[in-house]
Amino acid sequence: MSSDAMIRLSEVWKKYSTKDIFHKSLREELSQAFSKKDAGSLGESEFWALKGVNIEIKKGECVGLFGHNGAGKTTILKLIASVTYPNLGAVTVNGRVAPLISVGAGFHPDLTGRENIYTNGTIIGMTIKEVRENIEKIIEFSDIERKFLDMPVKKYSDGMSARLGFSIAVHSSADIILIDEILAVGDEAFQEKCLNKIKELVTNGKTILIVSHNRDRMEELTDRIVFIKEGNIISNQ
Amino acid sequence: MLKRILPYKDLFLVYVWREFSIRYRQSVIGVLWAIIQPLSMMLLFTFVFTYIIKVEVSDSPRALFFFAGLLPWTFFASSTTYSLTSLTGNYTLITKIYFPREILPLAGVMLAFADYLIASVIFFMMLAAYGIGLTINALWIFPLLLLLFVFTISLCLVLSSLNVYYRDVKLATGFFIQLLFFASPVLYSIDNLSLKLKLILFLNPLTFIIENMRRCLIEGRGVVLWQFVLVAAIVAVFYYLSCRFFIKTERDFADVI
Repeated sequence: MSSDAMIRLSEVWKKYSTKDIFHKSLREELSQAFSKKDAGSLGESEFWALKGVNIEIKKGECVGLFGHNGAGKTTILKLIASVTYPNLGAVTVNGRVAPLISVGAGFHPDLTGRENIYTNGTIIGMTIKEVRENIEKIIEFSDIERKFLDMPVKKYSDGMSARLGFSIAVHSSADIILIDEILAVGDEAFQEKCLNKIKELVTNGKTILIVSHNRDRMEELTDRIVFIKEGNIISNQ
Repeated sequence: MLKRILPYKDLFLVYVWREFSIRYRQSVIGVLWAIIQPLSMMLLFTFVFTYIIKVEVSDSPRALFFFAGLLPWTFFASSTTYSLTSLTGNYTLITKIYFPREILPLAGVMLAFADYLIASVIFFMMLAAYGIGLTINALWIFPLLLLLFVFTISLCLVLSSLNVYYRDVKLATGFFIQLLFFASPVLYSIDNLSLKLKLILFLNPLTFIIENMRRCLIEGRGVVLWQFVLVAAIVAVFYYLSCRFFIKTERDFADVI
């Protein structure tokens, strides 16, 4: 395996439960401290969301993840973002990750656009100083009129907050950017702008992972597409 | 735990600021709410114990006595209320982005601390009004405050994490806090109890902290050093276990929440 891999998933297995048997999970968690349970076996009403997935992504690559709903795309993004952990196998990530899974998740409706730039920016890993340095660029890219910036985000249209969310994420200094279903955001013109920005980021050496249902857009944008079906990688070209 | 947060200190600062500014947004009297709660409880207790149940709670003025106990109590109670749902309420963040999860409950504690500081201004104004001067023993407030902080943080970590798994925790906590209020020496002093009984009561660190905070501020008396060390040891062990528990459970938050 090459050493310049930014992201590497090796033999990753991840299971989820269909039922809300979460009460059990804490007890299991605590009892596991005493007895080493076999992580590789399925319990009652559990299923494998990922079945031995291997992915390697190099620095500066733009990779698309394609598959049906429930194929395991978002689970892979979550693993890379360290939001969740694999049951078996290993996930190695070399660099800071800025996730952009459904835009604007970190927005607070009562805060103004400008205030939300600060909170959302720091949530995705920017320092206060970085936000301050980039705020003009973020505002400009988002196409939001300045008079709306000091208005609470709850009064924004969906398109406006989506644009702002995207703009914050692409201005972060993270090495790896995760994008989930974002290409459906905003109007045609803004989508075009997003695509160009993503291409620009790749040229600047950022590593980008995109999940989308829009295959044409994805082929236009990415270096290669990983096809996933029912937790397995079926094609990696 | 500090080592985990340090790289995320900007997020922590912005988050505390965010919570603070949301709290008083679209409210007319804003920050005054921080004072109203302990102040109204103090007035009620003073009224009840002056006119209805005529008991001499201590040699100090009743209003001052109650307020000195209510300040740390309110800090503790609001911390738990603020932080209890901090994880479950931010489920969109937790399932999407990694950051040390303890930032969320800790921000709740910081918020309660801001309220505490604001209400403390009133307390010092009251001290001046009653003509009670501070002695050198008042400096004990700082180590006691640290103890209160660490104890509160520990409990908030455990409760907020448990609430991710069992929503029963949220339902039980209100009741538990109410019980704890009467189990802690806010309305009364345990000063006249025997040492043996005191030591048993000190198993609740709040008893020790509240009793001694009041003692050093309004009575100008010091803290018994060995008792402080004993309670500090209990709190330290509790803190260690709470952090371990939090870090262990944190990994599953996104899957369970």
